[in-house]
Amino acid sequence: MMPNSNFLRIKLSCLLVLACGTLSLAQVAIKQNKPESTPLRQTIDKAVQESWKKEKIKAEGKCDDSTFLRRVYLDLLGTIPSYDVAKKFLADQDGKKRDKLIERLLNDTQFSQHQTTLWDLTLFGRNPPNQDATRNRTLFKQWLGEKFTKNEPFDLWVRDLILAEQEGSELYYAQFTNKPEDLTESFSRIFLGTQIQCARCHDHPFTELLQKDFYGMTGFFVRLVVMDQGTSGSGEKQLKKFKIGEKNSGEVLFSGNQKELKPGKKGEPVKPKFLSGAPLEEPTLPANYKEPEFKSGTKSMPKPQFSRKEKLAQWATAPSNPFFAKAAVNRIWSQFMGRGIVHPIDNFGTDNKPTLPDLLDNLTEQFIAHQFDTKWLIREIVSSETYQLGSKGENKESLPKHFERARIRPLSAEEILTVMKVAGGDPEQKSEGSTGEYFRRYFGEPTNGLGDFQGSLSEHLFLNNSSNVRAFISRKKGNLADTINLSKEPWEQRIDQMFLSVLTRLPKDSERAKFASYLQSEPKSENLVEEAIWVLMNMSEFRFNH
Amino acid sequence: MNNPSISGVCKKSEHFSRRALLKGSLATGAGTAIPNWGGLFHSQSIASMAQKLGKRCILLWMNGGASQIDTFDMKPGKATAGPFREIQTKLPGYKVCEYLPKIAQQVEKLGIIRSMRTTSPDHPDGIYHMHTCYKQSERMPHPELGAMIAKYLGQTDADLPSFVRMGPTGNAGSGYLGPRYEPFGIERNGNMPYFTSPYLPAANESRRNDLLRFMETEHKKENSADAYESHRVAKERAWRLLKAKSLFDTTKEWPKHQELYGASDFGRGCFLARKLTEAGVPFVEIGQENYDSHADNFVCHKANMQILDPAWSGLLIDLERTGQLQNTLVVWMGEVGRTPQINNRAGRDHFIRGWTIVLAGGGIKGGVVYGSTDADGRDVATNPVSEGDLFATIYTALGVNPRTKHFVGTRPIWATPEGSKPIKDLLL
Repeated sequence: MMPNSNFLRIKLSCLLVLACGTLSLAQVAIKQNKPESTPLRQTIDKAVQESWKKEKIKAEGKCDDSTFLRRVYLDLLGTIPSYDVAKKFLADQDGKKRDKLIERLLNDTQFSQHQTTLWDLTLFGRNPPNQDATRNRTLFKQWLGEKFTKNEPFDLWVRDLILAEQEGSELYYAQFTNKPEDLTESFSRIFLGTQIQCARCHDHPFTELLQKDFYGMTGFFVRLVVMDQGTSGSGEKQLKKFKIGEKNSGEVLFSGNQKELKPGKKGEPVKPKFLSGAPLEEPTLPANYKEPEFKSGTKSMPKPQFSRKEKLAQWATAPSNPFFAKAAVNRIWSQFMGRGIVHPIDNFGTDNKPTLPDLLDNLTEQFIAHQFDTKWLIREIVSSETYQLGSKGENKESLPKHFERARIRPLSAEEILTVMKVAGGDPEQKSEGSTGEYFRRYFGEPTNGLGDFQGSLSEHLFLNNSSNVRAFISRKKGNLADTINLSKEPWEQRIDQMFLSVLTRLPKDSERAKFASYLQSEPKSENLVEEAIWVLMNMSEFRFNH
Repeated sequence: MNNPSISGVCKKSEHFSRRALLKGSLATGAGTAIPNWGGLFHSQSIASMAQKLGKRCILLWMNGGASQIDTFDMKPGKATAGPFREIQTKLPGYKVCEYLPKIAQQVEKLGIIRSMRTTSPDHPDGIYHMHTCYKQSERMPHPELGAMIAKYLGQTDADLPSFVRMGPTGNAGSGYLGPRYEPFGIERNGNMPYFTSPYLPAANESRRNDLLRFMETEHKKENSADAYESHRVAKERAWRLLKAKSLFDTTKEWPKHQELYGASDFGRGCFLARKLTEAGVPFVEIGQENYDSHADNFVCHKANMQILDPAWSGLLIDLERTGQLQNTLVVWMGEVGRTPQINNRAGRDHFIRGWTIVLAGGGIKGGVVYGSTDADGRDVATNPVSEGDLFATIYTALGVNPRTKHFVGTRPIWATPEGSKPIKDLLL
């Protein structure tokens, strides 16, 4: 199924060492760059449309230009287009304007920034452990940002993350200092798509996962040491640096089912074992080997004679790994389609089958064949007809199971903040100190245990009454409210500008008429304009990417 | 108060648990009970049952952990006794601390559990555990009691939040139940949190909101996704809360009630809780601070009880007087008890081997002393009660099935841990 798997990069590095000159590397390169007969976007549409037929589902049609424009801006850049961009795009008669827009956005610096934000949140979550170290992740984001700016292949940056030898990358491990089990959970969930945590306390009830599988994976992390390299700055600017060391010895001790645990019972050492794979082959340590005592304050340590971390990096990111590429493809797919082909995205397993198994295999193979090129994959997904479906209709599901309609996803806290600035007409607007924190607090985690959106009371009290939000709406020199107030155009045109600026669409006739009478209900327009912009920014239409 | 142009609640028929069926979940969707549902309990039918019963719950939270030996489980004559004397209650043969004279007169309303044996010995973990009945170390987002009660006893279209708290209280929030059931924190004197004061004059606010309602109605014509509805409902709730804000203001009534509840912040919080539950808030929690008496235990407890005694007894009297007591469960507890052993700073440390929690009112048999500790109070002697048993008792008293099931991702999780049993002797 994976014809190209012999030509993969990890192996390439070995080839370079072993057989440079014997096998034609040029040949490999040619084979890899050979275009597929069918572009992936068409493969996607074919698979999805066939499933509609099978399920007898009536799908939505293609979305209109303004819906597409807002959607793809939010998904690729984490923001909305300015009024000028929106106006120009809607007026553009070029039949290829969507493809051209996609290409432009993929090459925008904000694209790599947005990817960095998304992956940073994936790797750390809203409330990461080790708060003192993880509050300021500037260095980590710089490190990750460079990877996305260069569009470094997915397997390569993940390998660097596992090796944790580049400045900034160490923080992923540092959040789990002395907690190899927590690290195992996080790593397996994100990069292997496997919810291994059940097996931490008991054998998994629905799958074949055993506790020993969990602790076998933990074996790769148990020898890691987080070495504090010092702290600079203070308060919000406080920045901690780390280095990651690895010891020569140390094993996970396994003491059986948590429920049957007795105090004082010592566990048995568990050898490292790749998930659903072979145990790690490693040289035995001399019988009299004594690990040097690790003192706190240690800033560096020699490389171990045998590095488990390196073995993990090799195994995890290899194309032959049955979990890695599939989990990556599924996760990237869900960024744009709202849900994974396997959903929840980090719960692959015999008890949770993919909705479109062939498509998932196909995406995986092609992702590998394209050398884990994330940008290529994203381009193909957002260029598909499936991604560009309408978002209206009677279907109540926010994340339709068969992708028969675009998903409705809430904007993240970061997106809402950025979008309000753009919509208010001052993208560069500085926000007061606490604004970012308030946005994260009130918009940060809007879902229940199943990932369904839930609006909260505090979110709306904040939107209704806070000066932090009002700062993006009320009249200031040069912003949207100011422009509308100063404009001499007829109200209808000014209303069009307001809608296009905030919602990236023109008003319906009924809406235009309602706003026109609202805005002229008093001789002085200033208050009314502010109120009207507030209304647009408080709509459910604004709250979601649709 | 409800604007008819926007529906605050999904119609049951629209929402019939398709999603719940798909996910095998009880956590989502409204709808009637599903026949042939197998072994699962349908959460919405539980909610409608409980709502019909009109039950409420007030939690008096003793932050830091009150001493059982100096309150309800006194050990006169023992080395662990401490300096406080006993006084007779209305219950023959049962005595409590001399600093609880008013509560002593209310014992016929109380179900006193003297045999709590729990498993989280410190503050953050104990606070978490005694608010959720699950261990914090499980790293699951368990919801607090208040969020569960909000879900099962709250009305979707209520003007008021369904989980209100004041003073030092819980640390888990609404967990996997989601932001819909998050706690709404206010001060014990009724002062509101940030962002509850409109910056616009009322008339402007009102026309602005009507314009938004118009826009949402337009939007709703073509867009049916659940997420939009959730946004709209939350917006309406926020508006309704602001309209009902005056209810939180106790300035006028407090002077008249001060004598009954005692002139303290905590007492005022108890009065406000009575007012709020009467107005339909299903769960109110009021914290009292300063129980963590590792030093000077007796000074601390004497001072605390002088605040607690009138506030708590006043609350029970007032609930009875207003006809609410039979529907309002009042829980008195903290995160731990305190050691029988008195340390060298005249303090008592954290203790989980045998301590006391008191229930009263709605669904609880009064005048019952359940379980006991040994002669010195060093361990439970009879009828040990776990966190799960306590919560099962509370849920049962309130008409909520303690085995209600939810899903977190793919993992099933129950309102109380496996094996939890309600205390029958305390239930009506």
